[in-house]
Amino acid sequence: MVELYLNGRRYKVNAEEDTPLLWVIREHIGFTGTKFGCGKGICGACTVLVEENPTRSCITPVGSVKGKRIITIEGIPSDHPVKRAWIELDVPQCGYCQPGQIVEAYALLKKKPKASKEEIVSVMSSHLCRCGTYGRILKAIQRAQKLMEVKA
Amino acid sequence: MITRRDLLKISGLGLGIALLPDGFMLVKASENPQIKPHLWASITKDNYLVLLINKSEMGQGVYTGLSMIVADELDFPWRRVIVKPAPAKDIYIDKKMGSQLTGGSTSIRNMYEFLRLLGASMKEMILESASREWKVPKEKLQAQMGYVSYTNKKASYGELWEKALKLPIPTKVRLKDPSEFLYIGKGAPRIDTEEKVEGKAIFGIDVRRKDMVYAVVERPPYFGAKPQSVDDSQARQMKDVLDVFTISSGVAVCAKTVEGALKGREKLRVGWTKSPLEGFDDERLSQYYLDMLKKKGVVARKDGDPILVLEKAKRKTSAVYLLPYLYHATMEPMACVVDVKEDRCIIYAPVQAQTWTLQTAKRITGLPEDKIEVYTTYLGGGFGRKSNVEFVKEALEISKRIKKPVKLIYTREDDVKSGWYRPMNATRLEGALDEKGRVIAIYHKIAVPAVFEWAGRPSQVDRAAVEGIENMFYEIPHVHVEFVKVDLPIPVWFWRSVGSTHNAFTLETFIDRLAKIGNRDPVELRLELLKNHERAQKVIQVAAEKAGWGKRPKHGDAMGLAYHYSFGSHVAQVAEVSLDKNSGQIRVHRVVCAIDIGPLVVHPDLLISQVESAVVMGLSAATKEKVSFSKNGPISLNFDTYPLLTMSEAPHVEVHIVKSEGPMGGVGEPALPPVAPAVANALLWGYGIQINNLPMTPESIRSLL
Repeated sequence: MVELYLNGRRYKVNAEEDTPLLWVIREHIGFTGTKFGCGKGICGACTVLVEENPTRSCITPVGSVKGKRIITIEGIPSDHPVKRAWIELDVPQCGYCQPGQIVEAYALLKKKPKASKEEIVSVMSSHLCRCGTYGRILKAIQRAQKLMEVKA
Repeated sequence: MITRRDLLKISGLGLGIALLPDGFMLVKASENPQIKPHLWASITKDNYLVLLINKSEMGQGVYTGLSMIVADELDFPWRRVIVKPAPAKDIYIDKKMGSQLTGGSTSIRNMYEFLRLLGASMKEMILESASREWKVPKEKLQAQMGYVSYTNKKASYGELWEKALKLPIPTKVRLKDPSEFLYIGKGAPRIDTEEKVEGKAIFGIDVRRKDMVYAVVERPPYFGAKPQSVDDSQARQMKDVLDVFTISSGVAVCAKTVEGALKGREKLRVGWTKSPLEGFDDERLSQYYLDMLKKKGVVARKDGDPILVLEKAKRKTSAVYLLPYLYHATMEPMACVVDVKEDRCIIYAPVQAQTWTLQTAKRITGLPEDKIEVYTTYLGGGFGRKSNVEFVKEALEISKRIKKPVKLIYTREDDVKSGWYRPMNATRLEGALDEKGRVIAIYHKIAVPAVFEWAGRPSQVDRAAVEGIENMFYEIPHVHVEFVKVDLPIPVWFWRSVGSTHNAFTLETFIDRLAKIGNRDPVELRLELLKNHERAQKVIQVAAEKAGWGKRPKHGDAMGLAYHYSFGSHVAQVAEVSLDKNSGQIRVHRVVCAIDIGPLVVHPDLLISQVESAVVMGLSAATKEKVSFSKNGPISLNFDTYPLLTMSEAPHVEVHIVKSEGPMGGVGEPALPPVAPAVANALLWGYGIQINNLPMTPESIRSLL
């Protein structure tokens, strides 16, 4: 039995400690917004926040995050500038990689609200999108920066 | 206020359980489909329009594009439109394809007229219903944005819908004049964006059913091998493992949890029969394709006497190209949920091919069609791959055997090992110029597997093998096109833009080589070859002009152009490229694209996003992608060995829409073929490099310098 602190709630899950966090979040608990893409931490579709750090949940044993604060795409508020910018620019195509992209962008702007274009591209290049929405992702992050400025 | 998302929650779609909306009657398969609004649409009492869309949403925006057409003719507020996937039924077959299938960049083209008629018929019935209720002639009523009104009377479509449905379906309806369009030609926000941004969109891998178990399949290392011996003693000891058994494609491991199934599979010991492909590593495959190119094939086109003209010509050139197997790399690997019961079969799957899924289910379960339900989830990428439904077949076999709902998941490695690649191919091109530098002969011969034959539609000359060459618009007096069928048991399939992926590359790079030996400008040469094809000329002119053809490139050091016609659309692209000669690394800074899909663009922003998408995918394939093989099978099994283009490598894409008269063309695929040759042509003119092999990796470029 593993106890997890996920999106502000506690869950007790009947899983082995070496089970990838991804499967626990998706299949045991049921937050399916976090996606399986490669199982090797390469594509970024499974990205969640562990204590605010973007983490590849497909290679993170659930036992290593017991008691830590985990946030998934479902845990990011709908009115957050990143989500709003994504909607405004109609970023997603198939949409499968987008939760991971959004979680990464959310963490980046939290840490570095004024991240430069180069910094954004460098961080986001660790995520794959087969639909090729890269141009719009970049624009959306820059748009979110603007929305955050207005808010601040 | 109820938002669209709330409604999705209520209806259960958000949970991926009740995909079939209430209020729709399912018809018998034999019933003759016509405009039958009750089978395609419903308007709820509180005035939401619910549409069943018969095309798969795989990112191309088809739910938005198609429902917009109905909402426009119906005159309905966009924010109150809800889309649900149409189940697999004869009534939802795309009549122009004869199948419920999403592919070939045809969805809007094929459904446009029908959906306009549907929306207009619904509006007509609603007006008639109000007219009878209020005893006011129909002509005096106004139907606008979801409401019918007359002086001080007003009713929502939703209030009138139930009675409207009982009225006869009008045989004649008035369609809007384009000046009255609300959405068509302008666009509307994507209907699927919010769900996708919130992580609530349900893909095949996300479906959950009560008592569902998980399954993974151990596959042979190389195609065609069968399990000879299976030692499952250790696998069965693993926690959560329920059963292990052989199915048609390998050995299935079923477990209560996905991690249990994966761990169980690790402990499985399978001895495989020898694959007929054993020994076919990259080197041997290359040699095999090049040898096949020397064999006699089937002539697909012959104009004049190209062989004689080439023999006599003074100015001529030739090239042999070798292009690799490509993997679709949908971000969602194959996954689906299937429940085979004694008397019923339910399938939730991210498929492009509902009819083929239904036929497969009939074959595996033995159940009649009306006992099989096929619901399409969102597709985490399609690109042609998910019109192949072998993965659903596996899930059907497993569920039938274990008598439980099964979620079958492919790991990334399983996905690559399952095959269905864009075929490898070898091409020989020869061309000749006359004394004025005019192209007078082209000899083309390709050795390639027959994609359409793999899809069950064999023909002497495989359509995919020669598309884009056999039907090219270039007017050349002497032309030879020949197809040699490669018959290796490596499964191949439709890969976004299919035969044009390779034929545009070979032909378009070859045209530039001819221009070079003839001291011709490649744009001017193309315009000469296309002098009777105004649409083709126009896109080339627009792309060249917008990119600043003939001037120094705005970004990078070299510029290349390519043109291609596919799926009914003309596309020209100019790529701005630079090359680091030390590393061999190329960088594509900007791609300027001109596209002509005809007189009407239903949703301009969807067109733009499809072009952006196609350019990135085409460039990814051209610069990075190749399925590599060892003697024992494919070895590019994940993104570390099959890398995709990333944001840092993605060019800025500039899209210019050119309008013209003529039939409507497609959008999803046509912008992919020109990008690879445009980049290669930039390397030819800027650096004198001829690219005969893809991908253009730094190592391969360095070897050419």
